Amino acid sequence: MSQIANINQAVFARRQRTNKIGLTLSMLAMTLGMIFLIWILATLFIKGFAAVNLNMFTMSTPAPGSEGGGLANAIIGSLMLIVSCTLISTPVGVLAGLYLSEYGDRSKIAAVTRFVTDIMLSAPSIVIGLFVYALFVAQVKHFSGWAGTIALALIAVPVVVRTTENMLRLVPGSLREAAYALGTPKWKVAFYVTLRAAKSGIMTGILLALARVSGETAPLLFTALNNQFFSTNMNAPMANLPVVIFQFAMSPYDNWVDLAWGGSLLITFAVLGLNILARVVFREKAQG
Amino acid sequence: MKTMFNLNQIDSEGLGSKVNMNTENNSQSSDAVNALEIRNLNFYYGSFKGLKDINMNIEEGKVTAFIGPSGCGKSTLLRTMNRMYDLYPGQRAEGEINFYGNNILNPGQDLNLLRSRIGMVFQKPTPFPMSIYENIAFGVRLYENLNRSEMDERVEWALNKAALWTEAKDKLNQSGLSLSGGQQQRLCIARGVAVKPSVILLDEPTSALDPISTGKIEELISELKNDYTIAIVTHNMQQAARVSDYTAYMYLGSLIEFGKTDELFIKPKRKETEDYITGRFG
Amino acid sequence: MPDKHLSSQFDADLNSLSSRLLEMGGLVESQIATAMRAFTQMDLETCNVVIENEKLVNDLEIQIDSACTELIARRQPIARDLRLVMAVSKAITNLERAGDEAERVAKRTKRLIEAGAAHNINVSEIRLSGQMAISLLRRSLDAFARLDTIAAAEVVDEDRLIDEEFRGFVRKLITYMMEDPHTITTGLDMLTIAKAIERIGDHAKNIAEFVIYIVKGDDVRHIPHADLLRAATKE
Repeated sequence: MSQIANINQAVFARRQRTNKIGLTLSMLAMTLGMIFLIWILATLFIKGFAAVNLNMFTMSTPAPGSEGGGLANAIIGSLMLIVSCTLISTPVGVLAGLYLSEYGDRSKIAAVTRFVTDIMLSAPSIVIGLFVYALFVAQVKHFSGWAGTIALALIAVPVVVRTTENMLRLVPGSLREAAYALGTPKWKVAFYVTLRAAKSGIMTGILLALARVSGETAPLLFTALNNQFFSTNMNAPMANLPVVIFQFAMSPYDNWVDLAWGGSLLITFAVLGLNILARVVFREKAQG
Repeated sequence: MKTMFNLNQIDSEGLGSKVNMNTENNSQSSDAVNALEIRNLNFYYGSFKGLKDINMNIEEGKVTAFIGPSGCGKSTLLRTMNRMYDLYPGQRAEGEINFYGNNILNPGQDLNLLRSRIGMVFQKPTPFPMSIYENIAFGVRLYENLNRSEMDERVEWALNKAALWTEAKDKLNQSGLSLSGGQQQRLCIARGVAVKPSVILLDEPTSALDPISTGKIEELISELKNDYTIAIVTHNMQQAARVSDYTAYMYLGSLIEFGKTDELFIKPKRKETEDYITGRFG
Repeated sequence: MPDKHLSSQFDADLNSLSSRLLEMGGLVESQIATAMRAFTQMDLETCNVVIENEKLVNDLEIQIDSACTELIARRQPIARDLRLVMAVSKAITNLERAGDEAERVAKRTKRLIEAGAAHNINVSEIRLSGQMAISLLRRSLDAFARLDTIAAAEVVDEDRLIDEEFRGFVRKLITYMMEDPHTITTGLDMLTIAKAIERIGDHAKNIAEFVIYIVKGDDVRHIPHADLLRAATKE
């Protein structure tokens, strides 16, 4: 009897040791990641906070050499670009995802669509910017907010398509069958039952796509470019935060550098906020 | 509209031809009306034959139960009755299923219309992601145009039929998912009943529920059979004995025996049936 | 039963029920045989043995009935199994009553002995029908053990013979009692004994009817013999 107890003890001790080692390693990895995250956020906060004041939100970007100034035009510009991008990419992405999930199990078109979506998901954003430049900007011979919107949409749509399709596929087949069993036509099943059931997941996908495009700089370089002044004309070059940061960060002017940090802080918190919102939305709906 | 029959022709009272049954499993009286007559039904999952030459009747206004071990084809058979298999490629049925005289296996059959006449409740309770009220109104709206008060009445009527009204009447606007498992299943039954079908198919409706919810639903079934024809698949033999008027025993895709429940459970005709129901598995 | 249940305990319970019935049957058989011996030999000791052992028969009835109820509660038997349990439950009642009849024979015999009455009436009919009754009971229990419906049908048929013997004996008894009123008291005791034996035959017949019920599922009580035979021999 005691022999058995001894054997168990040895095994048990070894297991405990392995457990401790594994735990320690994972804690180290986590700490490493956390250190950098906190470092970045802290740097942003410290450097950017100096620039955050009322002016940042009310005054436009300053001319080279002039004092003060703000980011108002860039903020508004970014907002307009993002909103118009959302208005385009959401319906396109959701409908495409709906098609792929509900109608496209067997068709060739669906297979091709998925393939293309996957490629575009990992396409370099600068390439997309260049593409829009060549196809659109070069033809009309001027930069514009619309071009920027198109470029951002080309980045956002694949994300929305992918998440929409995945979320719809997660809806259990039994729910669809229950709807069919009532005599519901296919399109109604897709729209009123399946889509509704995946609603929170799809919204999360849209928010994440938004978060992604909020910080995209390269495509905007070739399409919306930038605008020193306050403008809401989508047909003309549009001021936006990422490009402003790009311009101001490496400049010799102090106020420009400060504004760059301020803008970075803004973007970071916006993206952070969107991510948190996405999580909250998903969790709430999942519980209800 | 590619329909085989008009909605207005069929109501739950059932206008059907009176049938003289001459099959070997003749246990019906001669003036029994059949809601469904299944003739020479074969079913294939790809190349695998899931149902072999099924011939039987589902009598109107009665509860017919299907029992048998796993994989015997009872769920498959149930799902042919509302052409549910049509959703999946590679599954096909051959033969005839006459629903009050119309062969519903015809390629020209309007499936949505058919499914509004032959409803189904599944094993897992599946309330739609809507309010309780909307869950029931959804199906009704598909085929009927009711104003607000008529819809309210219909919802109340359906919930009463499912013995859920008292529990749900104060939370009609809450999500269907906020109900307990047994209540959700009764909601699904209310949803199916609300569209006033002729036949209700139940695929192991109480498998996922506790004994009390199960009891409530069995009670429901005996009340519902006054107005509807019911076919129920169950792996619980005592349940089949309790709720059904007729029982069909199936094994490996074939119909082994079909008869009045009392007779089948006290004096089954086939040894295979007796072996199964008494728990003798050779 | 050739096939086994998925639950071997269930099989064991059903088999136990059957064997206890047979055990009770054997006890009742021996009671009847002993009572007949007491009657033929007019032996007081033997009478008392029968009267004492009657208690054992009653106890067995209660035990087996309780086992039946437990089986139903625990297993909810259906079809063949249900018919077996129902039949056992009823058959033990028949056996218990047959035991009562055996006791009655013993008690009446005792009364005859104490009254000093000798065999002044020819009782060969009683002896004969007593043997027939024992044989019938044995054969019905045998048919139950083997679930043999043909043998059971024969038992049902031959009970008729005991009934005929009884009627014959009653006619003879009436004649004697009319000739000599002094024999009436004795005669009535004889009548009771003869009646008891006739009843034992009926109980054996009932048990045989249950055998057909178990195997074929048809309740063959109170139907004409031709129909019973058809039910017993059908596939």
